[in-house]
Amino acid sequence: MLKIFKKNKIPKRAALLQSNIDFEVLPRTTLLSSALSEGIDWPHRCKVGSCGTCKCRVVSGKVKPNIDFSYTLKQEELDKGFILACQSELISDIEVEINLNKNKERK
Amino acid sequence: MKFYVNLRYLIVPISSLVTILGILFGSIYAWTGVFLFGIYTIIDTATKDIHLRAEKDEAGNSYGIKLFQYLVMYVMLPVFIAIQAAVAWRLYQYTSGVQLEALYFGGIAYQNGISGLNLVGAVISAALWAGLGIIYGHELSHNKKEGFLVSRLIMALSGASHFTYAHVYNHHLDLGHEDDPATAPRGRNVYLHTWLSHAGQSKFSYDMEKKKLKNRGKSFINIDNRWLLGYLYSLPSIFLFVWSGGVVGLLALSVIWILSNFLLEALNFMGHYGLIRKEGPVEHRHSWDNDSVFTSWFFIEIGRQCDHHVRGETYFWELDDVGGPNYGIGYFSLFVLTLIPSLFRKYVQKHLDNWDKNYATDEERLIASKFNINKTGEASLAS
Repeated sequence: MLKIFKKNKIPKRAALLQSNIDFEVLPRTTLLSSALSEGIDWPHRCKVGSCGTCKCRVVSGKVKPNIDFSYTLKQEELDKGFILACQSELISDIEVEINLNKNKERK
Repeated sequence: MKFYVNLRYLIVPISSLVTILGILFGSIYAWTGVFLFGIYTIIDTATKDIHLRAEKDEAGNSYGIKLFQYLVMYVMLPVFIAIQAAVAWRLYQYTSGVQLEALYFGGIAYQNGISGLNLVGAVISAALWAGLGIIYGHELSHNKKEGFLVSRLIMALSGASHFTYAHVYNHHLDLGHEDDPATAPRGRNVYLHTWLSHAGQSKFSYDMEKKKLKNRGKSFINIDNRWLLGYLYSLPSIFLFVWSGGVVGLLALSVIWILSNFLLEALNFMGHYGLIRKEGPVEHRHSWDNDSVFTSWFFIEIGRQCDHHVRGETYFWELDDVGGPNYGIGYFSLFVLTLIPSLFRKYVQKHLDNWDKNYATDEERLIASKFNINKTGEASLAS
């Protein structure tokens, strides 16, 4: 079968380094929606890639961006590996840095 | 049930095809699009008290078939192109002075040539359905893959390709705030809102591209400039209408663009009129819901603004009633009211009072109290 018709149906894993949390991300599912389904209090707001609240830094692994992150993130953030969790699907298992206490700090 | 849930969203696709047939048949049938708009206004008003929730199976899964719904939305691009092509053909006949006569195509009679009056009907029909079809441009703007490009192309047929970026990066982020040109403050009328919102969104898209290109060290005149590219997508429509009708063609395209953008901005106007948001997340109270049955099916649930703005990533067939502020009537009925600003303001005042009392936070209520309606009805913020 041609490779383009071969869909990757294997779930990937995301590990949150600062909080010792590890969870599964299904194909065609974003990092944020998987985290929220797992009950993780991931900071977020618009869920359409406009506000940048869900940004996190990828330490290892690859993601597939659903939008051009440069509209929302600064160049230096992109250079450091920041992504928008609400617009990222996983290509491989990843390790990310995210401050899950950001929600609590705001409250 | 699953079959029915998906079929009910086909009112616009079918009506668009009927509108094209009307233009092709010619004579009085060129007005079909206008006639349908009128009929649907009556149906929407008559069924305003019927409300349905999003249907789900026992396991809580949606009945919507994503592949089918996306296929329909993608197919709408060639359908909208076909509407413009049909009008262009009639423009060509009119400006070439083709004699009026009954002809047959495959045994079906149609009128060759078109009178000036019926040409007006064809142009207004096309404009109305191009405007109503913008609901697909909106829905696809939230799909970040190939759907985003289809959205841009659909919007470009109305000269409004900038909408796709501005809607996601401006409207969804700044909703209810003065930074959102698509949110109409209290007292503004739909006619003024159309121009201000359209220009404001285009300006936002312009600034966004300018900043992006500057950060990348590229010049503004660049193939990566999506604001510029959006307007280039509109060039085929301009060429088609100028080629087929010259000055008359340009005039016809102007009517189509103005009217279709008016309908788009009327939707923005009705969706958020007078609502206020202080800093903080967008919540259900920052939008007006229009969820009467005909509005829901016709506008593919775009009226469920309260849920849509909180769950922007959610497919239209999964949007639901979330108990947000509600006008109580459908979009067609409300649209008629917006055409007469004094009547609209009178109708909406009781809903705004209710919002101020039962939905607004103290901070939002304070801002609302500072709005003074002057004698001409234009809103201004008290200093």
